Amino acid sequence: MRGSRRDFLAGMAATSPPGEATRPAGRRPRIAALTTVYYKYSHSEHIIDRFLDGYGWESRHHRPPMDVVSLYVEQVGDKDLSRERAQRHPGMRIYPTVAEALTQAGSDLAVDGVLLIGEHGHYPVNEKGQKLYPRYEYFQQVVEVYRQSGKTAPLFNDKHLSWNWDYAREMADTAKQMGFGFMAGSSLPVTWRQPSIDLPRGVEVEEAVSIWAGGIDGGDIHALEALQSIVERRRGGETGVRAVQAVRGERFWQALESGSWEGGGWDRQLLEAALCRSNQLNPARATYSNVFPSNRDLRRLAPDAYAYRFEYGDGLRASIIQFQAAPKQKGGGVVGDCNVAARLKGGDVFSVLFYLPYYSMRNFFSPQVHHIESLFLTGKAPYPLERTLLTTGMTAAGIESLYQKQQRLETPHLAIRYEPTRESTFWRT
Amino acid sequence: MLTRRTFLEAVGGATLVSTRPTQAESSVPRRIAIITTIWKYLSHAQHMGDRFLVGYPRHGKWHEPPIQVVSLYVDQKPEGDLSGQRAAEHGFKIYRSIAETLRCGTDKLAVDAVVIIGEHGSYPTNEKGQKLYPRYEFFQEVVRVFEQSRRSVPVFNDKHLSYSWKKARQMVSDSKRLGFPFLAGSSLPVTWRLPPVEIPYGAEVEEALMLGVGGSDAMDYHALEAMQCMVERRKGGETGIRSVQMLEGEAVWKAGEQGRWSKRLLEAALSRSDSLQGDSQLDSRPQDLAHNGQLPTLAKNPAAYFIERNDGLRTTLLMLNGAMRDFTFAARLRAGEIVSTQFFLPPTPNVTYSACLVAQIERMIVSGRAPYPVERTQITSAMLDRCLDSKVAGHRRLETPELDVSYRAPQ
Repeated sequence: MRGSRRDFLAGMAATSPPGEATRPAGRRPRIAALTTVYYKYSHSEHIIDRFLDGYGWESRHHRPPMDVVSLYVEQVGDKDLSRERAQRHPGMRIYPTVAEALTQAGSDLAVDGVLLIGEHGHYPVNEKGQKLYPRYEYFQQVVEVYRQSGKTAPLFNDKHLSWNWDYAREMADTAKQMGFGFMAGSSLPVTWRQPSIDLPRGVEVEEAVSIWAGGIDGGDIHALEALQSIVERRRGGETGVRAVQAVRGERFWQALESGSWEGGGWDRQLLEAALCRSNQLNPARATYSNVFPSNRDLRRLAPDAYAYRFEYGDGLRASIIQFQAAPKQKGGGVVGDCNVAARLKGGDVFSVLFYLPYYSMRNFFSPQVHHIESLFLTGKAPYPLERTLLTTGMTAAGIESLYQKQQRLETPHLAIRYEPTRESTFWRT
Repeated sequence: MLTRRTFLEAVGGATLVSTRPTQAESSVPRRIAIITTIWKYLSHAQHMGDRFLVGYPRHGKWHEPPIQVVSLYVDQKPEGDLSGQRAAEHGFKIYRSIAETLRCGTDKLAVDAVVIIGEHGSYPTNEKGQKLYPRYEFFQEVVRVFEQSRRSVPVFNDKHLSYSWKKARQMVSDSKRLGFPFLAGSSLPVTWRLPPVEIPYGAEVEEALMLGVGGSDAMDYHALEAMQCMVERRKGGETGIRSVQMLEGEAVWKAGEQGRWSKRLLEAALSRSDSLQGDSQLDSRPQDLAHNGQLPTLAKNPAAYFIERNDGLRTTLLMLNGAMRDFTFAARLRAGEIVSTQFFLPPTPNVTYSACLVAQIERMIVSGRAPYPVERTQITSAMLDRCLDSKVAGHRRLETPELDVSYRAPQ
């Protein structure tokens, strides 16, 4: 990662006001967790449980060297686990407000790190299909405590920063101004890959695709973060996105048939490569367990498919293709996993599966928590926030294009430049 | 920084797919015969056989193997049989005997390779719990055709060679006598690993522990071969087996207390599991199952397979049904380092681990060389058979001088 003087100072967190709280040597960091819900298979359950109960990591049952001391849960329903967790881990107290969780019911910031997990729960959905999770609102309450206390702590935000681009931009700017470590995003960029490879830094990439199973907003951000974690390593680093166009319905199928970006779709070779990395390719023919689907098969299996086609500032073209089944379609869908393919200059194709172990413990949260621990211990985000700022904006822009009848939209606000980390950060060990 | 060139060298070209056709793709297809017990949806014959018919995903491409299935022998046609449909659709013939299948209606061997898949179907089970699949018998009929035709071709045998160590030994000996390439075994050694590690070639291994689940003698076989493909890389290579013992129930935990298997390696192997049961199943929390006391409650009928090697290495398989649902491994090297991984089995129906195995079969058929030694499968077949002898002999430790199978793994 870029080691600028400013990053260094932000990491050290001693100089610029309000300044990151300094923790006495030897004391374990105290963490506050803020979440919308806490039930089985919710993101908060996966993330916070790993801090409380530890997790398998590199031949050990690893216990993070820090303590979740306070918890705020906005919605507590029948399936809630937060009370059971607090009882079993008495070091963690439940507070009725975000501010009290951060101050441990005192007057000043009393934690060394904050987990902000605004995923799942009952929230309104707007006319564009975005679920209005209150991540921005939580974030504002957090920085209010930081301001009042005159000190800050590193913060992790699960998934995209917000459904709303202006909110996201403000969150990123606020963190930068106040100088606290801010990490965000999906677990996709950091989970296992098959094969276990990264795009070599500095190669020239002409076009890329990311495929998955749909889900406006909530599913889009994952497919985009996977894509972005690959293409950001291309020559020149990230330069941002200048336009987007969504395609759905008959235009989607025309795009698919065209087999090329120039024809209004995407390189059919890239789609084939991505499909051929999948471990969950829905068999298109009865009695066959693994066959390659024709375009007709794709149409039958995923009638509600849609795609967002992005033009990057440096000329890269990339699409996320969401093979979405119809509601309640029996046996529908094309892939159950996320796969990315990229065509390099010269014609070679790079392709990879982002493997999510969807078994009892959903262990793809383990590498994410591993990186969050690093944020809390060092005060520095292990990979750039700009990735998630960009994918947040790309998600919102794609949805906006869909909403505006699939119009191509210029996105000058997404001219976001950043350099990826030098070392790969996905799960390899 | 990794340059593009060093990257390509590092991944051996398997990662990036060239758009140019390779020579192999343009060559004349090899004609093969498939000999199987049954061909039903989700049977091994269907998973593997279909890949020769409709291709399979490999290195980010839908790969069409340069192989043509020309004949099939299927021993049983239960309800759900697909063999007739496949033969009609893909233009091959089903014959009534193995000899005819190999001769394709002529009077001598008329195929370039034989794939034997003797898994699934109705066959008796013996007192040791072994299902008596007729792999040896199939193989012997193949050998007879080879002998009569004075010509042999490469043979693949799915899973263990036989339930019997003696039959397994005979099969390997026949293949050497007639000099044909012989590949066999499970898909676990060749599937994806999480993380993708190997025992460093030639490393001194102090102890190894494999964790597995499922029934005997179907799933313990897979677990044992997974362990074998790791430890065969140790210094000096495989030296054969001195003794085996199988324990069940409470005795498994007692053996752990006595240090007969390593608790440190248990923790390491469990750290690679994605599917812990009990509280993890209840509410998805991760657990320190090696230390939280829940393991005996979850794995109510554990089994331990102790396999002591001629060079002194102790290796153990624990079958822990009820505690987890995947296959994991850990070994301690002399240098102190612990190597651990999960042998990843991608989900049904694709089960792309079988694509990994078919890619190896294809390698043998196209190149005429087995990509790894059949002795791996022979010794694994034998250790399982003898462990089950121990089971029915009151869980006694058995000396196994007859398992003096030594071989070197490929680098």
